[in-house]
Amino acid sequence: MKRFSIKGNTLMLVVILSGLASILIMSCAENAKIAAKSGAQLWAENCQRCHNTPSPASFSHEQWQIIGLHMQTRAQLTDKEKDKIIAFLSQ
Amino acid sequence: MTTINKISKLALWAMVMSLAVNKVNAQTTTVDSTLLNRISALEQQVADQKSGENHFMVAGLTTFGYVRNKTTFIPPGGIAQSQKTNSFGDADHYELSPMLMWNHGNKFLIEFEPSFNGNTLGVNWANISYFAAPGLIIHAGYFVVPFGIYNKRLAAGWIDKLAVDPNGIGLPGSDFGIGFSGGFPLGDMKWSYDVSLTNGLQLLSDGELQNAGIVDNNKGKMVSGRFSLLPLSNSCLEIGVSGLYSNAGDAGSRFTSADVTMYSADINFVKTFQPFLVNIKGQYNRINVTRQTYIATTDSSAYSFNNKTSAAFGQISVRPIGVDNKLLKNFELAYRYSNYTTPQSSTWGQNLYEHDFGLDYWITWRTVLKFTYAHSHSLSTASVPAGGVAGITNVNSVYLQFSIQL
Repeated sequence: MKRFSIKGNTLMLVVILSGLASILIMSCAENAKIAAKSGAQLWAENCQRCHNTPSPASFSHEQWQIIGLHMQTRAQLTDKEKDKIIAFLSQ
Repeated sequence: MTTINKISKLALWAMVMSLAVNKVNAQTTTVDSTLLNRISALEQQVADQKSGENHFMVAGLTTFGYVRNKTTFIPPGGIAQSQKTNSFGDADHYELSPMLMWNHGNKFLIEFEPSFNGNTLGVNWANISYFAAPGLIIHAGYFVVPFGIYNKRLAAGWIDKLAVDPNGIGLPGSDFGIGFSGGFPLGDMKWSYDVSLTNGLQLLSDGELQNAGIVDNNKGKMVSGRFSLLPLSNSCLEIGVSGLYSNAGDAGSRFTSADVTMYSADINFVKTFQPFLVNIKGQYNRINVTRQTYIATTDSSAYSFNNKTSAAFGQISVRPIGVDNKLLKNFELAYRYSNYTTPQSSTWGQNLYEHDFGLDYWITWRTVLKFTYAHSHSLSTASVPAGGVAGITNVNSVYLQFSIQL
């Protein structure tokens, strides 16, 4: 009877996920409705997925730019989302 | 006559010059205010976007409070023994973590978060990120290993709805290595990836796993990653899957062949159903360690067990953000169920479940006062001959906790 191979299954999983990721990257595009979202809307949708929506008055424009990069590493925001949210928070 | 003409011409010329100077002065005044404002705004933009400019800020968090416990241990066929304790923040429930962030130009971000936690001073992360291209961030250093959703996004005291962490979700923690992450749109949907190559976990002498990030104990490395999909256009639902593979045995030890595989699935749903904001989160972890032979501390005999661990939690919180009452809208009710099953016949085997009930008051968006009642029940499945302890342990705890993001 063949033994269950953890290493083999993990490698298989990595290959499948990599393939899936490749397909996704090749087909990445946002539709018009998503592209038209405002910074305020993206702020409301994305921030509260983990924590309360931050007050724009909490930080300066320069600080929001740093926080935007930090949040991009944490929540994998897309570049457009990050730029629009920071522009909204910096107003 | 000539003199009179000269004087008249001179007077006329003086008047014209006087009018001209006044006109210029008036224009200068008008131009100055608008132009200077514009120049000031442009200077600010240039200062913010100038390549190579360093920006620095300190953020961070602190959590402290009071905890009261009652622990009851019931040995097999024996009489229950209870113990009560109470204390202000201890090693598990006090934290002061300033986070230092440097933004170098538009491409680099350095993050360093030291943490004073109980009696120890540690580091949560210290890494540099390079924003290489849209959807590609490269990070290196000491960072939270991408696995599941809790450790990287939900564990901070000012984010967590409850005063305690779910049981068994802490692995793999932070580690030294390199990683890649990014997010992409996908039509109406969105997806993201976060993968890393790090030193890896360590298998201890009793079969437990040491959190990653202390010392590289072998030549093997740990591969870990999380992929997530946000299938709805308003991003209210996120579904994630994670995988991890690591050599875990110390080089040259009897655990040289020990490998660890971890899998995880997580869900995150946040949506407003007027007047309530409903927040649902959950994660399931599975840990498999290849079978090894261990040495009992009692009599030095060899023993083995099926080293599989599972941990899961599900939580829901509700906040009436849509009501008019300013006091009421800042309250939030939370409940979490967690389950933690460690290997039977090990020295640390148990089936544990825990119910956590919370009532939070949000003073600001990043400042919270939390009241949490927790009840846990643990049935030991440990091997007594190998040094484990049989019995049932019940713990009832009350927490009053304050947490703020700085």
